[in-house]
Amino acid sequence: MKSWSISKNVFRRIRRDPRTLILVVLTPLFFILLYGISFSSTPKGLKLIVVNQDTGQASIRTEQVGRVNVPLNLGKKLIENLDHDVFTIVVRDDPDEARREVEMGEAWGALLLPPYFSNFLVSEALRRSGPREIDYNGQTINALPPLPPVNENNPPQPPTLILDNSNPVIAAGVYPAISKAFTGLIYEDESTLIDSSLMAIQPVYEKPITALDYTAPGVIGFAITLISIMLTSISIVRERTSGTLTRLLIAPVRAWEVSVGYMLAFLLIALFQAAELLLTSFYLFGIRFNGNPIWVFLIILIFSIGLQGVATLISTLAKNEFQAMQFILVILIPSIMLSGVFWPVETMPSSIQPIAWLNPLTHANAALRNVMLRGWDLSRIIPELSVLIGFAILMLILSIQSMKRQADTV
Amino acid sequence: MEKSVEAEGLSKKFNGFTVLDEMNLSVEQGQLYALIGPSGSGKTTFLRILCGFIRPDAGNIQVLGWRIPNFRVQSQLGYMPQETALYPDLTIMQNLEFFGELYDLPHDQVRERAEALLQLVQLENFKNQSIAALSGGMKRRVSLVVSMIHKPRLIVLDEPTVGIDPRLRVALWQYFRELTQQNISLLVTTHHMDEATRCHKIGLLSQGKLIAEGAPDELLKESGADSFDEAFTALEDRAKEVPA
Ligand SMILES: Nc1ncnc2c1ncn2[C@@H]1O[C@H](COP(=O)(O)OP(=O)(O)OP(=O)(O)O)[C@@H](O)[C@H]1O
Ligand SMILES: [Mg+2]
Repeated sequence: MKSWSISKNVFRRIRRDPRTLILVVLTPLFFILLYGISFSSTPKGLKLIVVNQDTGQASIRTEQVGRVNVPLNLGKKLIENLDHDVFTIVVRDDPDEARREVEMGEAWGALLLPPYFSNFLVSEALRRSGPREIDYNGQTINALPPLPPVNENNPPQPPTLILDNSNPVIAAGVYPAISKAFTGLIYEDESTLIDSSLMAIQPVYEKPITALDYTAPGVIGFAITLISIMLTSISIVRERTSGTLTRLLIAPVRAWEVSVGYMLAFLLIALFQAAELLLTSFYLFGIRFNGNPIWVFLIILIFSIGLQGVATLISTLAKNEFQAMQFILVILIPSIMLSGVFWPVETMPSSIQPIAWLNPLTHANAALRNVMLRGWDLSRIIPELSVLIGFAILMLILSIQSMKRQADTV
Repeated sequence: MEKSVEAEGLSKKFNGFTVLDEMNLSVEQGQLYALIGPSGSGKTTFLRILCGFIRPDAGNIQVLGWRIPNFRVQSQLGYMPQETALYPDLTIMQNLEFFGELYDLPHDQVRERAEALLQLVQLENFKNQSIAALSGGMKRRVSLVVSMIHKPRLIVLDEPTVGIDPRLRVALWQYFRELTQQNISLLVTTHHMDEATRCHKIGLLSQGKLIAEGAPDELLKESGADSFDEAFTALEDRAKEVPA
């Protein structure tokens, strides 16, 4: 049976190529380790703004001594109860300012505690539990539920959560984490008396954002990454293995002209593919698209310049198409795992979050989401665009350098 | 007379293995120079150094009066690599047009030159055929045409006559000789001594050393052999006897 010889020859050739051998052994491990390390369901370090206007006083009706004022400071307690791993808490004074910050995407939520927060919570608790014994100045007295409000049109203000719901995974994490802080706020034993149902939630985006909406921008970004890098690097490797690169470089053509020439061609292809992806996902799957498509194309254009650079670098490092494919895998796996496309960077262990922030796809994804889901315009995606422009310039320089080096080694 | 190629003391090692050993070689303007040597003697390595693709470990090389690598040399240099180096999916004409553009040649001038050169290599009827559909020898001929499309002042050809039938081979060498009348210099490598009769000068390369150099009849006389094929062996044997 000749198949046996053919199989054996495959192994013989893999053994002759140490790079392939390493990749064959390590790629699956790399893949699953990265997945295991980066995936985690609970978000961490979410920026939450707290505006605490609570005076801390609760006015309680009692059977024995009439109305008493008790300094409960429930607002302060609630903030202390918040899980400081999950939230990075920022204190602000002005509720309008806090709301603006959430709308600008600078924080995932703002918890507004109104002036009579302590009073409000205690009243609600007593209304639900009925009369209860409390400790007042060393004596046990009976607290009574509040009387119905005098003015029905002006009920006491509940605490408010302004929630950036553009990221369903994070939004789904913020709410229960705040709910938990309500537990044991008044009575340590009775956790159900007071809960977050007392909280008024104001989502920033009216229409609920589905998991499909949420992942679509990142998947589009990833598709562009995958296709661009593959097409460009394989084309350049073929240019070299076929010997035509020798001819380009012996002609009066500068290394940068070769790099830029390739880049121009594949940029056009990438933009065409972006249009294809966007139109299909919009018209076939109805994904949310609030923003201006021009910004989407601008993001993809700048991002693609960087990707072309990466592809040129790969093509210089790889001796042939096969090696190029392996480099692509090693670059693409972490790029998708550590990009926030499927699970937010905020849910990754803090030790690898910095790596995710170094990943250009993270920023491309964030910029695309800001435009497509939040409907933001150019001025509000400048931070992400700046990172992408930096990436593009760096990669452009490196790719031209590597093309010059290629001239020495063809 | 001005020199088109001037190499002095060129040495190159690959992984500790000496490929070029203090090689000296010069090609004068308007000269047709044949670099002859057995497989592995270092011919291609020398040409790649000449083109600036690899740097020598030691020695100097000047091309058209410039120390390479030099960008100005590139527009006046035509190089035919040993491998085919064409875009297989494009037609002959498309390949020629593309490379012509890289030398800033106007389109109609490229076409005109392409037609003439294709006629020379007997491919005028195949100009719209894709490279992938050509035979090995036909590809070599297209490759030759590509390296001359921009009227270079120095043409460097790495075994241009491999896979080409004897009649066309003779015609090509005849053409190379004619080019020198326009003050064009050519450096051509080959395995075959008999091809070299039309050259101004022959250099014999053996194990990275230029063991003999001279006009064809001079070399023939010096070797004392009857034919060019025997001459190489005789000169190579003599070089081995006298340690350098
Ligand atoms: N990139 C390289 N790495 C290692 N060794 C090399 C490399 N290029 C050439 N060599 C070695 O240099 C020697 C000379 O090679 P070169 O290609 O110059 O020979 P050549 O005279 O052109 O042979 P041929 O007539 O077969 O084309 C050979 O022994 C070859 O193994
Ligand atoms: Mg050779």
